[in-house]
Amino acid sequence: MKFRTQRISWLFFATCMLLLCLQIVYGFIMGFAHMGYDVLHDYIPFNTARATHTNVLVVWLLCGFMGAAYYIVPEESGRELWSPKLAVVQWASLLLVAVTAVIGFHFNWWEGRKFLEIPRPLDYLVVINVLSFVLNIGMTTFTGKRYTTTGMVLLVGLVSAALLYLPGMIWFDSQVMDSYFRWWVVHLWVEGVWELIMGAIMSYLLIKLTGVDREVIEKWLYIIVGLTFVSGILGTGHHYYWIGAPEYWLIVGGVFSALEPLAFLGMALYGVTMARRGGRKHPNKIAMYWTVGCGIMSFVGAGFLGFAHTLPSVNIYTHGTLVTAMHGHLAFWGAYAMIVLAIISYAMPQMTGRKFFDTWVPEWAFWISNIGMLSMTCAFAVAGVTQVYLERRVGMDFLEVQAAVAVHFTALVLAASLFTLGILLFIYDFIRYGFPSDEAVEGAAEPEAAAAK
Amino acid sequence: MLSKSQARLFFAVATGGFSFVFLGLTVDTVMQVPERSHSENITEEVIHGKELWESNNCMGCHTLLGEGAYYAPELTKVVDRRGAEWMRIFLRDPQAMFPGQRKMVQYDFTEDEISALIAFFDWNGKIDTNGFPAEHDLAPPAPVVVAATSGADAMATAPAMVATVCMACHAVGGNGGNIGPAFEGVGNRYTEDELDRWLADPASVKPGTAMPNLGLADDVRGDLVEWLMTLD
Repeated sequence: MKFRTQRISWLFFATCMLLLCLQIVYGFIMGFAHMGYDVLHDYIPFNTARATHTNVLVVWLLCGFMGAAYYIVPEESGRELWSPKLAVVQWASLLLVAVTAVIGFHFNWWEGRKFLEIPRPLDYLVVINVLSFVLNIGMTTFTGKRYTTTGMVLLVGLVSAALLYLPGMIWFDSQVMDSYFRWWVVHLWVEGVWELIMGAIMSYLLIKLTGVDREVIEKWLYIIVGLTFVSGILGTGHHYYWIGAPEYWLIVGGVFSALEPLAFLGMALYGVTMARRGGRKHPNKIAMYWTVGCGIMSFVGAGFLGFAHTLPSVNIYTHGTLVTAMHGHLAFWGAYAMIVLAIISYAMPQMTGRKFFDTWVPEWAFWISNIGMLSMTCAFAVAGVTQVYLERRVGMDFLEVQAAVAVHFTALVLAASLFTLGILLFIYDFIRYGFPSDEAVEGAAEPEAAAAK
Repeated sequence: MLSKSQARLFFAVATGGFSFVFLGLTVDTVMQVPERSHSENITEEVIHGKELWESNNCMGCHTLLGEGAYYAPELTKVVDRRGAEWMRIFLRDPQAMFPGQRKMVQYDFTEDEISALIAFFDWNGKIDTNGFPAEHDLAPPAPVVVAATSGADAMATAPAMVATVCMACHAVGGNGGNIGPAFEGVGNRYTEDELDRWLADPASVKPGTAMPNLGLADDVRGDLVEWLMTLD
């Protein structure tokens, strides 16, 4: 850690850990409900559990991105954070909004639009919150000593994510228009600007961990985020097949979303190639695991499994079934959860000055959580494909089919237990590192930092 | 080999170019959607239905246009599939229709709210969705019913709710559901009083039965019993 104020990201990372636990708890509630044990129905009905599960995910990933930005941007621009006080206030208010939203979900207070369930008054608070975050990061960048591609891509990603939240706040009388512009937020976030953020964090980590020349890494960063937008922007069309939009979206969406795996393949190759080329053996190999793992799993989950049901001739049967849940779980895990866990794994030793690289805990956390999540994906896949055939193709009744696939949710819950064990190990490791320390400032001399002097 | 400035150029041109195309297609879509979705039929009632749909987070369990969660049925064509009558009874008390099965929250909707929801679903069901949801292309062919004639006769005199509500679970002349028993011969098996008591409160006659209390008015119930007694 080169600057004292980078430690603020610890607050955000700790929040990630807490919210991740909450997300897992609500995931289990839904898993059991699918098995037939909806014992909490009177207190936490399925729609409450579902809204909590997905919104807490979005908030903890955003928290992770913000933490990453507060850690990376001072270092990339060569100065302390513009206003550490604002950052702390921003953290506290974000947490307050998240907690209020989750409590509201339990009292039927929400705006029931998939992924954007938080009630409208809170939407405005989120906007103010994100603006103050962007202001802080922006001022740090523009008054800094240097501009780097990594820093700028991160900033552009964060600003665009903030702007793209706005179309989701327009009221439409028509469900078709509502859905059309809701995807501007959801799709253009996760298959657009969030990939900029992911790419930038990955690029930062690869520069730090591999010792490959910054120019080379950042050149490929441009290519990969360029590919993301080539495929991702018009790839939004795969959400427009069946909602009442014109027929040409079947072709536009089909062709461009078929290209989306390329961007993720790029991410995977990017991680693997840079890791091989790096002459330096960074002692923090667990951060390397998460970084390269993120590239690979995002290709499998977001790229490959997304492609598996994106073509219109397949999607007309799989749209709105558990097949989507299969893709969703591995995609969010591989692309976004893992990049946040990667930056946490990298930053914790830097911030605290404690170097627990070589213990078994973080390594097992990595393998167990990944194997758990892959197993969950398989359980969802079996349940989803069965549902598609029985319900959508043979025409069996919905509830009969759900009863038939309930057994696969037993497998899902078992796999989820394994996943949870991995996450608990990760959190144990996080707690073991303790709080950031002033002694860590400039204590960890990076070769790149030394070269810059 | 590609230089960094060329890579940056690729990024800028790709992003700018495809954003431009996307905005163009959006303008065209916004112009076509009113016709494809019959937006002239969006009445106050439909809008109220949409507000109810959102304020209760129905998408947290159901899908509409295939979007939502996967815990409860797809609702795009629900009015075609179930009929407004059935939906009205269901929405008054969701758990009564499927006792012992997956639960829906009891929202205590007013009759006006139920009408608004049905209007909202009805409007959604008429959107041109490019063929979604698909036909059941692997469905086994419908069985040929030999004794269809008596069923057809019976249906001619049946009250309207038989086709829209009862046949969701019961069959007449080989058509209808298989959750409850077929209606043929019911007039021989029970007396008028027994059927009346049964329809008024099924659970008091047979605790734990899957038959819901439909909350029928006395005259509606009377007509139904009268018709059931003709099935011998």
